[in-house]
Amino acid sequence: MSDMALYKRSAESASAALRRLADEDLMQLVAENDASAFAVLYERHTNVAFSLAFRMCGKRAIAEEVVQEAFLSLWRSGSRYDRTRGSVRTWVLGIVHNRAVDALRRGIVHDRGRVSDEGIEERLEAPERTDQEVGRRDEAREIRAALEGLPVEQSHVIELAYYGGFTHSEIATMLDTPIGTIKGRMRLGLQKLRSQLGQAEVTR
Amino acid sequence: MTPVDSHECERRALEAAPYVLGALTEHELESYREHLSGCVECSAEVAALQPVADSLALGVARVDAPVSLQARVMAVVNGEAELLRAAGHEADRPPRARPRWRARLAPALAASTALAAGLLIGALVINTGATTHTRTQTIEAVVVAPGYHATAALRKAGSHVELVVTGMPAPPPGRIYEVWLEHGTQAPAPTDVLFSVTSSGAGSVGVPSDLSGVSKVLVTDEPLGGSLKPTRTPVIVASV
Repeated sequence: MSDMALYKRSAESASAALRRLADEDLMQLVAENDASAFAVLYERHTNVAFSLAFRMCGKRAIAEEVVQEAFLSLWRSGSRYDRTRGSVRTWVLGIVHNRAVDALRRGIVHDRGRVSDEGIEERLEAPERTDQEVGRRDEAREIRAALEGLPVEQSHVIELAYYGGFTHSEIATMLDTPIGTIKGRMRLGLQKLRSQLGQAEVTR
Repeated sequence: MTPVDSHECERRALEAAPYVLGALTEHELESYREHLSGCVECSAEVAALQPVADSLALGVARVDAPVSLQARVMAVVNGEAELLRAAGHEADRPPRARPRWRARLAPALAASTALAAGLLIGALVINTGATTHTRTQTIEAVVVAPGYHATAALRKAGSHVELVVTGMPAPPPGRIYEVWLEHGTQAPAPTDVLFSVTSSGAGSVGVPSDLSGVSKVLVTDEPLGGSLKPTRTPVIVASV
Protein backbone atom coordinates (compact mmCIF):
# COMPACT_ATOMS: atom_id res chain seq x y z
CA MET A 1 0.00 0.00 0.00
CA SER A 2 1.40 3.40 -0.89
CA ASP A 3 2.28 5.96 1.77
CA MET A 4 -0.50 8.15 0.42
CA ALA A 5 -3.03 5.34 0.82
CA LEU A 6 -1.67 4.55 4.28
CA TYR A 7 -2.05 8.15 5.31
CA LYS A 8 -5.63 8.28 4.15
CA ARG A 9 -6.58 5.02 5.85
CA SER A 10 -4.79 5.13 9.15
CA ALA A 11 -5.13 7.93 11.63
CA GLU A 12 -2.55 6.39 13.99
CA SER A 13 0.22 6.41 11.44
CA ALA A 14 -0.93 9.59 9.74
CA SER A 15 1.91 11.74 10.96
CA ALA A 16 4.60 9.20 10.11
CA ALA A 17 3.04 8.46 6.73
CA LEU A 18 2.86 12.15 5.93
CA ARG A 19 6.55 12.59 6.61
CA ARG A 20 7.36 9.80 4.17
CA LEU A 21 5.38 11.42 1.38
CA ALA A 22 7.11 13.27 -1.43
CA ASP A 23 6.54 17.01 -1.66
CA GLU A 24 4.38 16.56 -4.74
CA ASP A 25 2.05 14.18 -2.90
CA LEU A 26 1.86 16.57 0.04
CA MET A 27 0.85 19.35 -2.34
CA GLN A 28 -2.01 17.18 -3.54
CA LEU A 29 -3.23 16.96 0.06
CA VAL A 30 -2.73 20.68 0.59
CA ALA A 31 -4.99 21.27 -2.39
CA GLU A 32 -7.59 19.27 -0.41
CA ASN A 33 -7.18 21.66 2.55
CA ASP A 34 -5.04 19.28 4.63
CA ALA A 35 -3.29 21.48 7.20
CA SER A 36 -1.14 18.59 8.47
CA ALA A 37 0.33 18.05 5.03
CA PHE A 38 1.01 21.76 4.81
CA ALA A 39 2.81 21.64 8.17
CA VAL A 40 5.21 18.99 6.84
CA LEU A 41 5.96 21.08 3.76
CA TYR A 42 6.49 24.11 5.96
CA GLU A 43 8.99 22.26 8.12
CA ARG A 44 10.86 20.96 5.10
CA HIS A 45 11.28 24.25 3.30
CA THR A 46 10.97 27.08 5.78
CA ASN A 47 14.66 27.46 6.58
CA VAL A 48 15.81 27.61 3.00
CA ALA A 49 12.95 30.03 2.28
CA PHE A 50 13.88 32.20 5.25
CA SER A 51 17.54 32.15 4.26
CA LEU A 52 16.69 33.50 0.81
CA ALA A 53 14.33 36.15 2.19
CA PHE A 54 16.91 37.24 4.77
CA ARG A 55 19.66 37.36 2.13
CA MET A 56 17.50 39.63 -0.01
CA CYS A 57 15.90 41.83 2.65
CA GLY A 58 18.63 41.85 5.28
CA LYS A 59 16.20 42.29 8.13
CA ARG A 60 14.62 39.48 10.11
CA ALA A 61 11.23 41.18 10.52
CA ILE A 62 10.84 41.75 6.79
CA ALA A 63 12.15 38.28 5.98
CA GLU A 64 9.56 36.81 8.36
CA GLU A 65 6.82 38.79 6.68
CA VAL A 66 7.95 37.66 3.24
CA VAL A 67 8.14 33.99 4.27
CA GLN A 68 4.77 34.17 6.02
CA GLU A 69 3.16 35.67 2.91
CA ALA A 70 4.80 33.08 0.70
CA PHE A 71 3.69 30.07 2.73
CA LEU A 72 0.15 31.36 3.16
CA SER A 73 0.09 31.87 -0.59
CA LEU A 74 1.21 28.26 -1.01
CA TRP A 75 -1.54 27.09 1.35
CA ARG A 76 -4.20 29.11 -0.42
CA SER A 77 -3.14 28.32 -3.96
CA GLY A 78 -1.89 24.76 -3.58
CA SER A 79 -4.25 23.55 -6.26
CA ARG A 80 -2.36 25.62 -8.80
CA TYR A 81 0.87 23.71 -8.27
CA ASP A 82 1.86 21.83 -11.41
CA ARG A 83 4.45 19.13 -10.78
CA THR A 84 5.45 19.06 -14.43
CA ARG A 85 6.81 22.59 -14.10
CA GLY A 86 9.32 21.97 -11.34
CA SER A 87 9.83 20.87 -7.78
CA VAL A 88 7.83 22.16 -4.83
CA ARG A 89 10.99 23.67 -3.39
CA THR A 90 11.62 25.63 -6.58
CA TRP A 91 8.00 26.77 -6.54
CA VAL A 92 8.19 27.87 -2.92
CA LEU A 93 11.46 29.70 -3.46
CA GLY A 94 10.02 31.36 -6.56
CA ILE A 95 7.16 32.71 -4.46
CA VAL A 96 9.58 33.88 -1.78
CA HIS A 97 11.77 35.58 -4.39
CA ASN A 98 8.81 37.38 -5.96
CA ARG A 99 7.54 38.54 -2.57
CA ALA A 100 10.97 39.74 -1.52
CA VAL A 101 11.40 41.63 -4.80
CA ASP A 102 8.00 43.25 -4.15
CA ALA A 103 9.15 44.29 -0.68
CA LEU A 104 12.41 45.65 -2.08
CA ARG A 105 10.66 47.61 -4.81
CA ARG A 106 8.07 48.99 -2.41
CA GLY A 107 10.96 50.53 -0.54
CA ILE A 108 10.41 48.62 2.67
CA VAL A 109 14.06 47.62 2.60
CA HIS A 110 16.32 50.61 2.70
CA ASP A 111 19.72 49.10 1.95
CA ARG A 112 18.92 47.41 -1.32
CA GLY A 113 22.46 47.89 -2.47
CA ARG A 114 23.62 45.25 0.00
CA VAL A 115 24.11 42.41 -2.41
CA SER A 116 26.77 40.39 -0.71
CA ASP A 117 26.59 37.59 1.78
CA GLU A 118 29.43 39.24 3.67
CA GLY A 119 28.48 39.94 7.24
CA ILE A 120 25.69 37.41 7.17
CA GLU A 121 26.70 34.65 9.49
CA GLU A 122 24.83 31.41 9.33
CA ARG A 123 22.29 31.66 12.14
CA LEU A 124 20.86 28.38 13.11
CA GLU A 125 18.18 27.77 15.69
CA ALA A 126 19.39 24.20 16.16
CA PRO A 127 22.28 23.15 13.95
CA GLU A 128 21.41 19.97 12.15
CA ARG A 129 23.89 17.33 11.23
CA THR A 130 21.73 15.27 8.97
CA ASP A 131 23.02 14.06 5.62
CA GLN A 132 20.31 16.10 3.99
CA GLU A 133 21.48 19.27 5.70
CA VAL A 134 25.12 18.57 4.90
CA GLY A 135 24.09 18.04 1.28
CA ARG A 136 22.22 21.33 1.24
CA ARG A 137 25.18 23.21 2.63
CA ASP A 138 27.48 21.65 0.05
CA GLU A 139 25.04 22.64 -2.66
CA ALA A 140 24.89 26.21 -1.34
CA ARG A 141 28.69 26.40 -1.19
CA GLU A 142 28.98 25.09 -4.74
CA ILE A 143 26.56 27.69 -6.06
CA ARG A 144 28.27 30.50 -4.15
CA ALA A 145 31.66 29.38 -5.42
CA ALA A 146 30.38 29.28 -8.99
CA LEU A 147 28.98 32.79 -8.63
CA GLU A 148 32.18 34.08 -7.09
CA GLY A 149 34.14 32.43 -9.91
CA LEU A 150 32.48 34.62 -12.52
CA PRO A 151 34.13 37.82 -13.75
CA VAL A 152 33.13 40.42 -11.21
CA GLU A 153 31.17 42.54 -13.69
CA GLN A 154 28.97 39.52 -14.44
CA SER A 155 28.47 38.33 -10.88
CA HIS A 156 27.74 41.90 -9.77
CA VAL A 157 24.84 42.43 -12.20
CA ILE A 158 23.42 38.99 -11.42
CA GLU A 159 23.54 39.67 -7.68
CA LEU A 160 22.06 43.14 -8.05
CA ALA A 161 19.22 41.72 -10.13
CA TYR A 162 18.44 38.48 -8.30
CA TYR A 163 19.23 39.31 -4.68
CA GLY A 164 18.84 43.09 -4.86
CA GLY A 165 15.60 43.12 -6.84
CA PHE A 166 16.88 45.82 -9.20
CA THR A 167 15.65 46.01 -12.78
CA HIS A 168 18.20 45.95 -15.60
CA SER A 169 17.60 49.65 -16.30
CA GLU A 170 18.16 50.55 -12.62
CA ILE A 171 21.39 48.58 -12.70
CA ALA A 172 22.45 50.34 -15.90
CA THR A 173 21.87 53.72 -14.25
CA MET A 174 23.61 52.66 -11.06
CA LEU A 175 26.69 51.43 -12.90
CA ASP A 176 26.52 54.12 -15.58
CA THR A 177 26.64 51.41 -18.22
CA PRO A 178 24.47 50.88 -21.33
CA ILE A 179 21.44 48.64 -20.79
CA GLY A 180 22.52 46.32 -23.59
CA THR A 181 25.84 45.73 -21.84
CA ILE A 182 24.08 44.94 -18.58
CA LYS A 183 21.79 42.40 -20.28
CA GLY A 184 24.77 40.87 -22.07
CA ARG A 185 26.68 40.47 -18.79
CA MET A 186 23.66 38.83 -17.21
CA ARG A 187 23.37 36.39 -20.08
CA LEU A 188 27.06 35.53 -20.19
CA GLY A 189 27.16 35.11 -16.43
CA LEU A 190 24.17 32.79 -16.37
CA GLN A 191 25.56 30.73 -19.24
CA LYS A 192 28.86 30.31 -17.40
CA LEU A 193 27.08 29.43 -14.20
CA ARG A 194 25.08 26.84 -16.07
CA SER A 195 28.24 25.33 -17.38
CA GLN A 196 29.98 25.37 -14.02
CA LEU A 197 27.02 23.87 -12.22
CA GLY A 198 27.08 20.92 -14.55
CA GLN A 199 24.37 21.92 -16.91
CA ALA A 200 24.82 21.93 -20.67
CA GLU A 201 25.92 25.18 -22.30
CA VAL A 202 23.11 27.31 -23.65
CA THR A 203 23.15 27.32 -27.38
CA ARG A 204 21.23 29.59 -29.69
CA MET B 1 1.79 29.68 -30.81
CA THR B 2 1.94 32.59 -33.26
CA PRO B 3 5.33 32.74 -35.00
CA VAL B 4 7.35 35.95 -34.67
CA ASP B 5 9.77 37.31 -37.22
CA SER B 6 13.46 36.67 -36.75
CA HIS B 7 14.31 40.39 -36.39
CA GLU B 8 11.99 40.69 -33.43
CA CYS B 9 13.52 37.58 -31.91
CA GLU B 10 17.05 38.91 -32.43
CA ARG B 11 16.09 42.24 -30.90
CA ARG B 12 14.79 40.54 -27.79
CA ALA B 13 17.46 37.87 -27.51
CA LEU B 14 19.08 39.56 -24.54
CA GLU B 15 15.89 39.78 -22.51
CA ALA B 16 15.85 36.14 -21.44
CA ALA B 17 18.53 36.69 -18.77
CA PRO B 18 16.88 39.68 -17.06
CA TYR B 19 13.57 37.84 -17.38
CA VAL B 20 14.70 34.76 -15.44
CA LEU B 21 16.47 36.97 -12.89
CA GLY B 22 13.28 38.95 -12.30
CA ALA B 23 14.95 42.14 -13.57
CA LEU B 24 12.33 43.28 -16.08
CA THR B 25 9.85 45.99 -15.17
CA GLU B 26 6.18 45.00 -15.01
CA HIS B 27 5.55 46.54 -18.41
CA GLU B 28 8.52 44.78 -19.97
CA LEU B 29 7.50 41.54 -18.33
CA GLU B 30 4.06 41.59 -19.87
CA SER B 31 5.45 42.39 -23.30
CA TYR B 32 8.16 39.72 -23.06
CA ARG B 33 5.69 37.06 -21.96
CA GLU B 34 3.62 37.87 -25.00
CA HIS B 35 6.72 37.51 -27.14
CA LEU B 36 7.59 34.19 -25.52
CA SER B 37 4.19 32.78 -26.36
CA GLY B 38 5.11 33.01 -30.05
CA CYS B 39 8.87 32.51 -30.06
CA VAL B 40 10.32 29.03 -29.84
CA GLU B 41 13.93 30.23 -29.72
CA CYS B 42 13.46 32.64 -26.86
CA SER B 43 11.34 30.09 -24.99
CA ALA B 44 14.18 27.60 -25.34
CA GLU B 45 16.68 30.14 -23.98
CA VAL B 46 14.43 30.87 -21.02
CA ALA B 47 14.00 27.16 -20.38
CA ALA B 48 17.78 26.78 -20.36
CA LEU B 49 18.51 29.75 -18.10
CA GLN B 50 15.61 29.45 -15.65
CA PRO B 51 17.10 26.53 -13.66
CA VAL B 52 20.33 28.50 -13.27
CA ALA B 53 18.47 31.50 -11.89
CA ASP B 54 16.42 29.20 -9.65
CA SER B 55 19.59 27.69 -8.23
CA LEU B 56 20.68 31.14 -6.97
CA ALA B 57 17.97 30.82 -4.31
CA LEU B 58 19.95 27.97 -2.78
CA GLY B 59 23.31 29.70 -2.85
CA VAL B 60 22.77 31.72 0.31
CA ALA B 61 24.01 31.41 3.86
CA ARG B 62 21.57 29.45 5.96
CA VAL B 63 19.66 31.50 8.49
CA ASP B 64 16.98 29.57 10.35
CA ALA B 65 13.47 30.89 10.56
CA PRO B 66 12.31 31.67 14.10
CA VAL B 67 10.14 29.00 15.70
CA SER B 68 7.49 31.63 16.44
CA LEU B 69 6.92 32.09 12.71
CA GLN B 70 5.71 28.52 12.40
CA ALA B 71 3.19 29.09 15.18
CA ARG B 72 1.88 32.21 13.46
CA VAL B 73 1.57 30.59 10.05
CA MET B 74 0.01 27.39 11.39
CA ALA B 75 -2.52 29.35 13.48
CA VAL B 76 -3.86 30.93 10.31
CA VAL B 77 -3.71 27.70 8.31
CA ASN B 78 -5.41 25.63 11.01
CA GLY B 79 -8.09 28.29 11.47
CA GLU B 80 -8.85 28.39 7.77
CA ALA B 81 -8.78 24.60 7.47
CA GLU B 82 -11.25 24.22 10.32
CA LEU B 83 -13.64 26.74 8.91
CA LEU B 84 -13.38 25.19 5.47
CA ARG B 85 -14.17 21.79 6.94
CA ALA B 86 -17.11 23.22 8.85
CA ALA B 87 -18.54 25.21 5.98
CA GLY B 88 -17.91 22.52 3.36
CA HIS B 89 -18.30 23.59 -0.24
CA GLU B 90 -19.94 26.85 0.72
CA ALA B 91 -16.75 28.04 2.26
CA ASP B 92 -14.94 30.63 0.33
CA ARG B 93 -11.49 29.18 0.47
CA PRO B 94 -9.23 32.01 -0.33
CA PRO B 95 -7.42 30.98 -3.19
CA ARG B 96 -8.50 28.50 -5.71
CA ALA B 97 -8.51 31.34 -8.13
CA ARG B 98 -8.34 34.80 -6.69
CA PRO B 99 -8.99 34.94 -2.99
CA ARG B 100 -12.33 36.64 -2.90
CA TRP B 101 -12.17 37.36 0.77
CA ARG B 102 -8.92 39.09 0.30
CA ALA B 103 -10.28 40.92 -2.69
CA ARG B 104 -13.12 42.14 -0.54
CA LEU B 105 -10.75 43.23 2.13
CA ALA B 106 -8.52 44.91 -0.41
CA PRO B 107 -10.23 48.31 -0.45
CA ALA B 108 -9.96 48.55 3.29
CA LEU B 109 -6.40 47.41 3.08
CA ALA B 110 -5.37 49.70 0.28
CA ALA B 111 -3.08 51.58 2.58
CA SER B 112 -1.39 48.38 3.49
CA THR B 113 1.81 47.53 1.75
CA ALA B 114 1.79 43.97 2.86
CA LEU B 115 -0.74 41.73 1.23
CA ALA B 116 -1.14 38.63 3.28
CA ALA B 117 1.40 39.87 5.71
CA GLY B 118 1.03 41.38 9.07
CA LEU B 119 -1.05 38.55 10.29
CA LEU B 120 -1.21 39.34 13.90
CA ILE B 121 -1.41 36.14 15.67
CA GLY B 122 -1.72 36.03 19.39
CA ALA B 123 -1.16 32.86 21.23
CA LEU B 124 -3.70 31.87 23.77
CA VAL B 125 -3.03 33.88 26.84
CA ILE B 126 -5.14 33.91 29.92
CA ASN B 127 -4.67 36.63 32.45
CA THR B 128 -6.51 36.24 35.66
CA GLY B 129 -7.32 39.30 37.66
CA ALA B 130 -7.53 38.12 41.24
CA THR B 131 -7.97 41.47 42.92
CA THR B 132 -11.77 41.51 42.68
CA HIS B 133 -14.38 39.03 43.67
CA THR B 134 -15.31 38.47 40.03
CA ARG B 135 -12.46 36.81 38.19
CA THR B 136 -11.79 38.42 34.84
CA GLN B 137 -10.24 36.29 32.16
CA THR B 138 -8.73 37.69 29.00
CA ILE B 139 -8.34 35.41 26.02
CA GLU B 140 -6.24 36.93 23.29
CA ALA B 141 -7.42 36.06 19.80
CA VAL B 142 -5.79 35.54 16.44
CA VAL B 143 -6.51 38.46 14.13
CA VAL B 144 -6.11 38.28 10.37
CA ALA B 145 -5.81 41.90 9.34
CA PRO B 146 -2.90 42.35 6.96
CA GLY B 147 -1.16 45.65 7.47
CA TYR B 148 -3.10 46.55 10.59
CA HIS B 149 -1.88 46.45 14.15
CA ALA B 150 -5.16 44.92 15.17
CA THR B 151 -5.91 43.10 18.39
CA ALA B 152 -8.90 41.21 19.62
CA ALA B 153 -9.64 39.62 22.96
CA LEU B 154 -12.46 38.03 24.87
CA ARG B 155 -13.02 39.48 28.33
CA LYS B 156 -14.93 37.13 30.57
CA ALA B 157 -16.27 38.33 33.91
CA GLY B 158 -18.51 35.77 35.52
CA SER B 159 -20.95 34.65 32.87
CA HIS B 160 -20.60 37.86 30.86
CA VAL B 161 -18.29 37.73 27.88
CA GLU B 162 -17.30 40.67 25.75
CA LEU B 163 -15.31 40.74 22.53
CA VAL B 164 -13.06 43.79 22.39
CA VAL B 165 -11.19 44.78 19.24
CA THR B 166 -8.74 47.56 18.49
CA GLY B 167 -7.11 48.69 15.28
CA MET B 168 -9.42 46.58 13.12
CA PRO B 169 -10.16 47.59 9.55
CA ALA B 170 -13.81 48.37 8.85
CA PRO B 171 -15.68 45.48 7.24
CA PRO B 172 -15.68 45.68 3.44
CA PRO B 173 -18.44 47.81 1.88
CA GLY B 174 -21.80 46.08 2.13
CA ARG B 175 -20.51 43.66 4.78
CA ILE B 176 -20.63 43.45 8.53
CA TYR B 177 -18.71 41.44 11.10
CA GLU B 178 -20.60 38.46 12.54
CA VAL B 179 -19.71 36.50 15.67
CA TRP B 180 -19.84 32.66 15.57
CA LEU B 181 -19.55 30.10 18.32
CA GLU B 182 -17.91 26.76 17.65
CA HIS B 183 -18.59 23.77 19.89
CA GLY B 184 -15.94 21.07 19.45
CA THR B 185 -15.99 19.69 15.95
CA GLN B 186 -19.45 20.99 15.11
CA ALA B 187 -19.97 23.60 12.46
CA PRO B 188 -19.78 27.17 13.76
CA ALA B 189 -23.17 28.33 15.05
CA PRO B 190 -24.34 31.81 14.08
CA THR B 191 -25.16 34.43 16.70
CA ASP B 192 -27.20 37.59 16.39
CA VAL B 193 -24.13 39.66 17.15
CA LEU B 194 -23.28 41.81 14.16
CA PHE B 195 -20.93 44.73 14.46
CA SER B 196 -18.67 47.22 12.80
CA VAL B 197 -15.87 49.32 14.28
CA THR B 198 -15.22 53.00 14.88
CA SER B 199 -13.05 55.06 12.57
CA SER B 200 -10.12 54.23 14.82
CA GLY B 201 -10.86 50.51 14.49
CA ALA B 202 -12.21 50.04 18.02
CA GLY B 203 -15.28 48.07 19.00
CA SER B 204 -16.76 45.93 21.74
CA VAL B 205 -19.75 43.63 21.70
CA GLY B 206 -21.31 41.17 24.10
CA VAL B 207 -20.93 37.50 23.21
CA PRO B 208 -24.18 35.60 23.82
CA SER B 209 -22.61 32.74 25.76
CA ASP B 210 -20.73 32.11 28.98
CA LEU B 211 -18.39 30.01 26.80
CA SER B 212 -19.44 26.73 28.41
CA GLY B 213 -18.80 24.05 25.82
CA VAL B 214 -17.52 26.64 23.37
CA SER B 215 -14.18 25.78 21.80
CA LYS B 216 -13.79 28.82 19.58
CA VAL B 217 -15.28 32.23 19.04
CA LEU B 218 -14.94 33.30 15.43
CA VAL B 219 -15.64 36.47 13.51
CA THR B 220 -16.17 36.63 9.76
CA ASP B 221 -17.39 39.40 7.53
CA GLU B 222 -20.81 38.64 6.11
CA PRO B 223 -23.49 40.36 4.06
CA LEU B 224 -25.49 42.96 6.00
CA GLY B 225 -28.05 41.06 8.06
CA GLY B 226 -25.63 38.22 8.72
CA SER B 227 -25.48 34.63 7.49
CA LEU B 228 -26.53 31.26 8.82
CA LYS B 229 -23.29 29.66 7.65
CA PRO B 230 -19.97 31.44 7.39
CA THR B 231 -19.22 32.45 3.84
CA ARG B 232 -15.74 33.77 4.47
CA THR B 233 -12.65 32.68 6.31
CA PRO B 234 -12.46 34.13 9.82
CA VAL B 235 -10.77 37.41 10.54
CA ILE B 236 -10.75 36.69 14.28
CA VAL B 237 -10.29 33.33 15.96
CA ALA B 238 -10.32 33.05 19.74
CA SER B 239 -9.51 29.59 21.09
CA VAL B 240 -11.24 29.11 24.40
